Amino acid sequence: MTNHWNDIQHADVILCIGSNPAENHPISFKYVERAMDNGATLISVDPRYTRTSSKSDLYAQLRPGTDIAFIGGLINHVLQGNLIQRDYVVDYTNASFIIDDGYDFNEGIFSGYTAETFSYAKDSWKYRTDQEGKALRDPTLQDPRCVYQLLKKHYSRYTPEMVCEITGTAIQDYMAVARVFCATGRPDKAATIMYAMGTTQHTYGTQNVRSYAMLQLLLGNIGIAGGGINALRGEANVQGSTDYALLYHILPGYLPVPDFNHVDFATYLDQATPKSNDPDSANWWSNLPKYATSLLKAYWGEHATADNNYGYDYLAKKSGNYSFIKLMERLQAGGFEGLFCMGTNPVVGGPDANAIAGGLDQLKWMVAADLWETETSIFWKRPGVDPKTIATEVFLLPAASSVEKQGSISNSGRWVQWRYQAVEPPGEAESDAFIVDQMFKRIKALYEKGGVFPEPIVNLSWNYGKGHEPDIEKVARECNGQFTRDVEIKGTLYKKGQQVPSFAFLRDDGSTLAGNWLYCGSYPEAGNMMQRRGLEDPTGLEMYHNWAWCWPVNRRILYNRASVDPGGKPLNPKKTVIAWNALSKKWEGDVPDGPWAPMNEAGGKHPFIMLPEGFGRLFAAGLADGPMPEHYEPMESPVSNMMSRQQTNPAVAVLGKLCNSDKFPYVGTTYRVSEHWQAGAMTRNLPWLVELVPDMFVEISEQLADWKGLKNGDMVTVSTDRGSIEARALVTSRIKPLRVSGRMIEQVGLPWHFGYAGLAKGGSANVLTMAVGCANTTIPEYKAFLCNIEKGGKLA
Amino acid sequence: MSSRKDFTKDKAFLIDMTKCTGCRGCQVACKQWNQLDAEKTEFFSGEGYQNPPAMSEKTFTRIKFRDYQKNGQNEFAFYKEMCMHCNEPACASVCPVGAFEKTAEGPVIYKADRCIGCRFCMIACPFGIPKYEWSKAFPLVKKCTGCYSRVKEGMKPACATTCPTAISYGPRDEMIKEAERRLTDYPDRYIHKVYGKDQAGGTSVIYLTSLPFDELGFKPVTMRPLPGYTWQALRLVPAAFLTVGGGLSAISWINHRKDRLKQEREEAEAAQQPNETKED
Amino acid sequence: MTAARYVVNEIKGYHRFVKFLIALVAIAAVASLARFVFGLGPTTNLNDTYPWGLWISFDVVTAVPLAAGAFTLGAIVHCFHIKKLEPLVRPAIVTGFLGYSLVCIGLVLDLGQPHKGWHVLRYWNPHSPMFEVSMCVMAYTTVLFLEFLSPVAEKFGWHVPMRVLRWLEMPLVILAAAISTLHQSSLGTFFLIVVDKLHNLWYNPLLPLLFWVSAICAGMCIIILEATASHKWMGQPNEGVLLRTLAKVLPWTLGLYIGLRTFSLLALVEGPFFDRPGLTIAFFLEFGVGFVLPCIMFTQKSVREDDRRRAIAASLVIFGLVLNRFNVSMIGMMNPRHIYLPSIIETLVTLGIIAAHILFFVLIAKYFPIFEHHPETVDYTIPDSFHKLDGGPSVEVKAASHGG
Ligand SMILES: Nc1nc2c(c(=O)[nH]1)N[C@H]1C(S)=C(S)[C@@H](COP(=O)(O)OP(=O)(O)OC[C@H]3O[C@@H](n4cnc5c(=O)[nH]c(N)nc54)[C@H](O)[C@@H]3O)O[C@H]1N2
Ligand SMILES: Nc1nc2c(c(=O)[nH]1)N[C@H]1C(S)=C(S)[C@@H](COP(=O)(O)OP(=O)(O)OC[C@H]3O[C@@H](n4cnc5c(=O)[nH]c(N)nc54)[C@H](O)[C@@H]3O)O[C@H]1N2
Ligand code: SF4
Ligand code: SF4
Ligand code: SF4
Ligand code: SF4
Ligand code: SF4
Ligand SMILES: [Mo]
Repeated sequence: MTNHWNDIQHADVILCIGSNPAENHPISFKYVERAMDNGATLISVDPRYTRTSSKSDLYAQLRPGTDIAFIGGLINHVLQGNLIQRDYVVDYTNASFIIDDGYDFNEGIFSGYTAETFSYAKDSWKYRTDQEGKALRDPTLQDPRCVYQLLKKHYSRYTPEMVCEITGTAIQDYMAVARVFCATGRPDKAATIMYAMGTTQHTYGTQNVRSYAMLQLLLGNIGIAGGGINALRGEANVQGSTDYALLYHILPGYLPVPDFNHVDFATYLDQATPKSNDPDSANWWSNLPKYATSLLKAYWGEHATADNNYGYDYLAKKSGNYSFIKLMERLQAGGFEGLFCMGTNPVVGGPDANAIAGGLDQLKWMVAADLWETETSIFWKRPGVDPKTIATEVFLLPAASSVEKQGSISNSGRWVQWRYQAVEPPGEAESDAFIVDQMFKRIKALYEKGGVFPEPIVNLSWNYGKGHEPDIEKVARECNGQFTRDVEIKGTLYKKGQQVPSFAFLRDDGSTLAGNWLYCGSYPEAGNMMQRRGLEDPTGLEMYHNWAWCWPVNRRILYNRASVDPGGKPLNPKKTVIAWNALSKKWEGDVPDGPWAPMNEAGGKHPFIMLPEGFGRLFAAGLADGPMPEHYEPMESPVSNMMSRQQTNPAVAVLGKLCNSDKFPYVGTTYRVSEHWQAGAMTRNLPWLVELVPDMFVEISEQLADWKGLKNGDMVTVSTDRGSIEARALVTSRIKPLRVSGRMIEQVGLPWHFGYAGLAKGGSANVLTMAVGCANTTIPEYKAFLCNIEKGGKLA
Repeated sequence: MSSRKDFTKDKAFLIDMTKCTGCRGCQVACKQWNQLDAEKTEFFSGEGYQNPPAMSEKTFTRIKFRDYQKNGQNEFAFYKEMCMHCNEPACASVCPVGAFEKTAEGPVIYKADRCIGCRFCMIACPFGIPKYEWSKAFPLVKKCTGCYSRVKEGMKPACATTCPTAISYGPRDEMIKEAERRLTDYPDRYIHKVYGKDQAGGTSVIYLTSLPFDELGFKPVTMRPLPGYTWQALRLVPAAFLTVGGGLSAISWINHRKDRLKQEREEAEAAQQPNETKED
Repeated sequence: MTAARYVVNEIKGYHRFVKFLIALVAIAAVASLARFVFGLGPTTNLNDTYPWGLWISFDVVTAVPLAAGAFTLGAIVHCFHIKKLEPLVRPAIVTGFLGYSLVCIGLVLDLGQPHKGWHVLRYWNPHSPMFEVSMCVMAYTTVLFLEFLSPVAEKFGWHVPMRVLRWLEMPLVILAAAISTLHQSSLGTFFLIVVDKLHNLWYNPLLPLLFWVSAICAGMCIIILEATASHKWMGQPNEGVLLRTLAKVLPWTLGLYIGLRTFSLLALVEGPFFDRPGLTIAFFLEFGVGFVLPCIMFTQKSVREDDRRRAIAASLVIFGLVLNRFNVSMIGMMNPRHIYLPSIIETLVTLGIIAAHILFFVLIAKYFPIFEHHPETVDYTIPDSFHKLDGGPSVEVKAASHGG
């Protein structure tokens, strides 16, 4: 989230697209409704009429996988109607930047494409620069090669009629959304976008998000109170887990993982650190060497020295894609001997789940650390297989749940809050920290006896006390960072072992260590900021700076320098996030995005400090599949792409095993319900929740039910080429067929919470989904596939 | 039964169904706080995701789902059923042993140790709230406790605490004022009635809705306090007793006297005619 | 011969019908056991929608008015001094006493916590019609018991109690009538609370009064039926002449009821009345066939004088009353989409209770002076032996009370 939960209440328009917060983020709805009480309009855009839609003022139905068309049309509406917030767009976005002549776009393909490798060479997607390498701009936005004009041209194809042909949305609904949302391009109006998995789980998921961000930039809605694009993070601590590098391609604090080309630390630093030739750009990431060095110091302590490149050679380098889908492919190919599953249940949650379960059969051993026996840990006795034929040795380590241990948790709004242990774990259950600690200590003992390249293990700095399990406070202190020797900075002496006050103090000379530069400041000398529970609210915007701690440096709204004009005056004085006090020469309000003066003053910096150019990107060269979002059809779709001849995302390899719409005529999508959690272990084992949603079901329209002769509650079989499941038909007017490209398309919705373990069992939706992911993130395309429905269960 | 007439400071629920997301956190929180067993359910029982099929000894509150089309528009609406904690509860008035009590705090509570299990409370409650432990040989009545154990310690009821959006809890007069404020401030959002303000003579649970009450499944109930209906007859009991008793005594005294006089007369006559026998 | 043996032999000698009754009672006893072993839910068709079923509707709400003969007749005989009807009083009292005892048994089965039944005495709630009825029923059962003790005392020749009871007769009768008035009507008060549930055809503020008046009618009709039946089948004396007198009162009481009922419908309730065909039929059966028709019949001398026709008319009233009580306590509150039908066990128990009633009546009549009770023939004097003991009163008393 650029903003945070409490801030949603300041919006004038709330667009829930690709998310269903009433069901999946229930507490957020407190703030949604508070905004509505203050006069805000709630818009819900979803293939299904959800519990969120039921509260909305405007509802627009769209076909799964057509968000770019939908938003592209809104961008077009804004540009054609000149509804942009002009000063904001000119001053703070790259709309005025002139693009290199080599850039082109034709029939759904951007310049630089190689069909054989499904990839783009991005050298033409760049700014035209002057001699100093500074990007050329045309603040009048007239230059035909400026981003603004390219954008206008690109999205002029997204007329309302065209959009609705693609999305299936009723045109009057669409125009109503366009009118309301696109009217917020004014300083005194804020619109927020709440999005989640309906957005990201597509082969062009990242581009979906991009399209939202672009729309918000054009309307001047980023950085302000009640604005932003807000990813409603999923698992309670998923924000923390990505901050701490749960993903394969990043190190803690979003430092890129080095790959084999980064032969030494210097090369890595050189290539990973972005450069800017604009002195007015903060280019925050230029600090990367300090963060990377401090991280290595945290990893290997005194074994990380300037002489050994701070242990850079100890660090594992990647040599390809280790995304979930790729790992599962390798698993199925027999590429692993053993597997650790800590707090995950891929046999229910992973795409093409039957194939994953089959892959597990080939393991020699598997360790599962979980609160429950899950489908994954009992894969060897799943329905239809004979346990005797499976030789895998499975260890189930009972894990302590979140309330049975203490530690920090980072919420979607980046607030890091301390949780205390409420009860002792039951039976033999132990915390994950204990499990990892024991694992490490035993592995280290083995390596101390010798082995190939033991140094990364035996030299690892691991000083978390002598208790039964690691002292979590010590871990938190290390994450914050410490001085490794006495240093004097700006006249103040910092002693060895002292906590680093903030990431501005981190060094690339080995004098500091920090487990995660983003969390610098969470545990300074003053103590554990994450434990704070102060209710003071001087801004009046419910930012609660003394409540817990928020990364970075307790800043509650990211890019807040874009909430003021270049003179530092709030764009909307009624909702002041920050304001420049010309007398004291200080910012007031939220912690600003950097200490520099406003743009117009000497030393002022552009607001988007994490980008080298300092401007919000309407045209973004970094992504794998194009600088501007373009509509493609999902990998499996019942219609041809009406926008171009390019059917699917050109940067995603087409799968072999695709369903065709003659055999599988219905568009399937998967989703969550309030009553269940994820792969279900935590809720399908709780009788109170099982009571509420006891069975796997599939939501189908009344028309499809008529056609198939189905009554509410009838058993049906849903199938794809990858497998089939049984489910109860939930016949409802909340899901409707859509008129797409001149014909009616039926869509069906399946919750994905069920499986064969636990108290309530049922077919897993992921038996149906396919293992193909987003070009940038490889998040699987869970949200759009083709399937068939027949009356009667497999057993019936 | 209390003879209290002022209920303005009782704690009351303001449940704004237009703000309810149907998340059912309340339903689960209630089961957790009251340690109620789950019901065995299958698929859904009712519209939308509704479950269980009805309130019961194991379910003190339930979200009723309405999922249908009206004028071509989707209606997906929710109604939280629970005990209304009536100001003048029918259940308490009919209970022969006074097992129900309207507490000063607001909740209507049940004293299981008193209950003889006659189920009159179930018949009497206009909202159909008290439920019975049918599976037991010596069953007791079960219903929403208003979380009295929490309320008397200064906490809010479990369902109100859990609810992210729809439930406010506070003094009844303030809740009514808040409800009326919402009706004025958001005239298009609501039907302009406050359910529970006057229903059954006023309750400690009041609702705002966007759909007409009957469409959501609210029970149509009288606006008079229910105990009044029986009391108007019961208050005549002493009078009836005295009238009948006294009347009959008088009548029989008169008749006896008549008889005695007659007999005396006859005896007197008989004395005058000593030979006459009575064997006729 | 052991006592058991004696009993067995005695039973062997009974009429087939009596044995059949014993069988029914035995089955009901087993069925009641099932209720305690398996609980109310599994053995009855009661549920949260129908917390009251056959047991309440018949065993309580209906049985009580059917036992109303005792107080009605008591009042007629002793208060209004229509002394010639006195021979009917004892059977009525026995019927009443049995009726109320069985009501108590029905309640024990139906109550969830029968062992706490006495709580009514401990925790008073005067606002509860049920509290009122319970207190009355307890008091009245005691009264009936005392009244019932007369024949017992008479049978065993316990003279002092006999005299005391005879002396208490008047107060007891008045007490009985007053208490009965209260609880007969309060049974109607029960249903004043279900203002939003009971159909307009039955819900009205006069319910208590209507219950009382109809109970009086039914009480008299039960006596007519009982006397007729016991004459016919038990060889008891024909009290036809007395019944004729009773039948003369009935058009008045029934007429009063019909008037009140019509008034309550027309003046006190707002329709709709005939929106549910099933209920409409139930109403006309109850009111037309069960009250209006017999009322007309009783105005006919031919009916009053003819044993059979009189009995038929009386049966119609009983039918009307039973249906009325079912309509009020069950049918009129029924949800058309969710009908309650009593379970086998509920039915067996109720049949058993009815059978027990008849059985005990027959047995009591067999062993105790119920019908033979023509008070003018009973010696209420205290035997000489007593006189000697307490040097008691004169012989005049004897003479006076004897011949009369
Ligand atoms: N109760 C509950 N809450 C949860 C979770 C849970 O399992 N249960 N999971 C947590 C996790 S890990 C996550 S990631 C979040 C996810 O939160 P959400 O993203 O809100 O979850 P979903 O229900 O998967 O998807 C949201 C909506 O996207 C719609 N949708 C499907 N396809 C498309 C599309 O192409 N475009 C658009 N615009 N919408 C589409 C679906 O109909 C669905 O209503 O929820 C978190 N919260
Ligand atoms: N079809 C379809 N598939 C999807 C999605 C979808 O929308 N559609 N959504 C995807 C998304 S967004 C996500 S996040 C994934 C989630 O997929 P998973 O992460 O595999 O699913 P969870 O059920 O959350 O698994 C978490 C497990 O951790 C256990 N657990 C809980 N607390 C602890 C703990 O403290 N320690 C340990 N060791 N274990 C613990 C739980 O019991 C549970 O079994 O699923 C994805 N799969
Ligand atoms: S389920 Fe838990 S994490 Fe999710 S909204 Fe509710 S309280 Fe928050
Ligand atoms: S709703 Fe029913 S149970 Fe609750 S207080 Fe009122 S009468 Fe009693
Ligand atoms: S069932 Fe219990 S609580 Fe209900 S009225 Fe009877 S005694 Fe009172
Ligand atoms: S007040 Fe308490 S008992 Fe009543 S519904 Fe709410 S949580 Fe349940
Ligand atoms: S917790 Fe609140 S919002 Fe959720 S279902 Fe209950 S009343 Fe509605
Ligand atoms: Mo997620």
